[in-house]
Amino acid sequence: MTAIFAIVKRLLASNKISFIITALVVLCATSSGDVVLSNGNYTWLLAVMTPFFFVFYDYTKLMHLGANKKDYFLGSLISYGILAFCISFINTVIHLLIDPVYSEKTVINLMDVCRWTENGIIIAGLQQMFFLLLVMVFLHVLLSMQPHWYGWLTDTVLVAIICIFIPIAVLRVILVRFFQIIMLNGNAFLHIGVCLLLSAALSFAGLLVLKKKTL
Amino acid sequence: MIELKQVTKQYGQATVLKNITLAIDEPGIYCLLGRNGAGKTTLLKSVAGYQNITNGTIQVDGKTITTSTLDTGVSYIENFAKHFNLPVRKLLRIASEINPNYDYDFASEMMERFELDGKKKFNQLSLGMKTMVSTIICLASNKSVVLLDEPVLGFDAIMRVEFYDMLTESFQKHPRIIIVSTHIIEEIAKTIQKLIIIDKGSVRFFDTLQSVETKAFSISGLQKDVEVATKNLNIIGQDTVGGLVTKYIFDTPPEQTASLEIHPLSLQDFFIQMVGHKGGTTR
Repeated sequence: MTAIFAIVKRLLASNKISFIITALVVLCATSSGDVVLSNGNYTWLLAVMTPFFFVFYDYTKLMHLGANKKDYFLGSLISYGILAFCISFINTVIHLLIDPVYSEKTVINLMDVCRWTENGIIIAGLQQMFFLLLVMVFLHVLLSMQPHWYGWLTDTVLVAIICIFIPIAVLRVILVRFFQIIMLNGNAFLHIGVCLLLSAALSFAGLLVLKKKTL
Repeated sequence: MIELKQVTKQYGQATVLKNITLAIDEPGIYCLLGRNGAGKTTLLKSVAGYQNITNGTIQVDGKTITTSTLDTGVSYIENFAKHFNLPVRKLLRIASEINPNYDYDFASEMMERFELDGKKKFNQLSLGMKTMVSTIICLASNKSVVLLDEPVLGFDAIMRVEFYDMLTESFQKHPRIIIVSTHIIEEIAKTIQKLIIIDKGSVRFFDTLQSVETKAFSISGLQKDVEVATKNLNIIGQDTVGGLVTKYIFDTPPEQTASLEIHPLSLQDFFIQMVGHKGGTTR
């Protein structure tokens, strides 16, 4: 376990650029008009940027320090869990304390948009956390696949799904349903369950990709 | 223990490793010699599980090694290895946290001995110092198999001597299989126990240094005398200058006669005779 936590520490420490960019955007972003975006939304930026560093920057260096693939895999998952919790916590705090300051304006926080706040703020925070975990694991797997042919194939399939499903009404309904389940879901139990299940499936796929990874 | 059975590695049409079968079952410092492009790095990376082979099997301590092996128990370091741009001391400390059997005292001692500035960041180091940091991390990991790919690249003469001492000390402290690939043959001879010569993807020689000292000779003289003396011996090379013929053997040398000059081969000459081919053909 010491090795895994050492990797977690290193992964988080070498993710400084993501932290700084996210913090700057959260602190500096401004909106005008009667309807404004909550600055807490921008904390999600960290979830999008982190997998890039874990996959393209940290992996090789950790291997050269003597880490093994198993520890890297578990370390990455734990780090995503920690980050998902932190991002969710900060956005929830911003939603509770800072968004109400702009009482004369309509502040849009994604927690409301996704209907998570219908279940109370704590459950909403949890729903956000598991959704962000899913996003990070998905990006990690997708980025890990990029040097291989099946990565490019997956990219093509994803683009094809978006291009084909959006214009065709019947397929569009399926796409909307999918996003309603994994994101815009007021049913906390179902939402968290689906996010965990998909995260587990994607983690398993990520393990298979990692096993193919060369250095 | 490392066991390779009929290992073949192909990159497209090019076969880099050709049906290699090799068993390294005793702890020791082994030297992997070969010309540029002979397949040394491919062999080491395959044993480390950093890349897959096309055919055959590789086992380390009974565990089959492929890229799918999540924990190989092998420590491999290549020259130009990338590390986090952190102060050297911090880098060594992180490595000690990541590796369960890491010998931090050894790493610190080596850092002092090689006058590595612990506060200096990795990217600010010279090529030689960077390689030294990588080598220290690899040796201190104390894994059962340590693979060092051209570790003396960028070292000056003094650093090389210190490195060979470090290798010996590390092995004496923790006996295990250490394979060092290098081009500087004579210098490492005092440090190693066994020699592996690889050429064009095949293992040409795998034996002790002692066997080279007792069996590798050059025999010079008139052609007919040399032919008679070397009949039925294992000839590894031949040179002809005028009427004089020199044959290089790896066998029990013939008895010294007045018409023959018999000299032991240096390690470098032995290596040249084993892999010495000009224009792609064996001499």
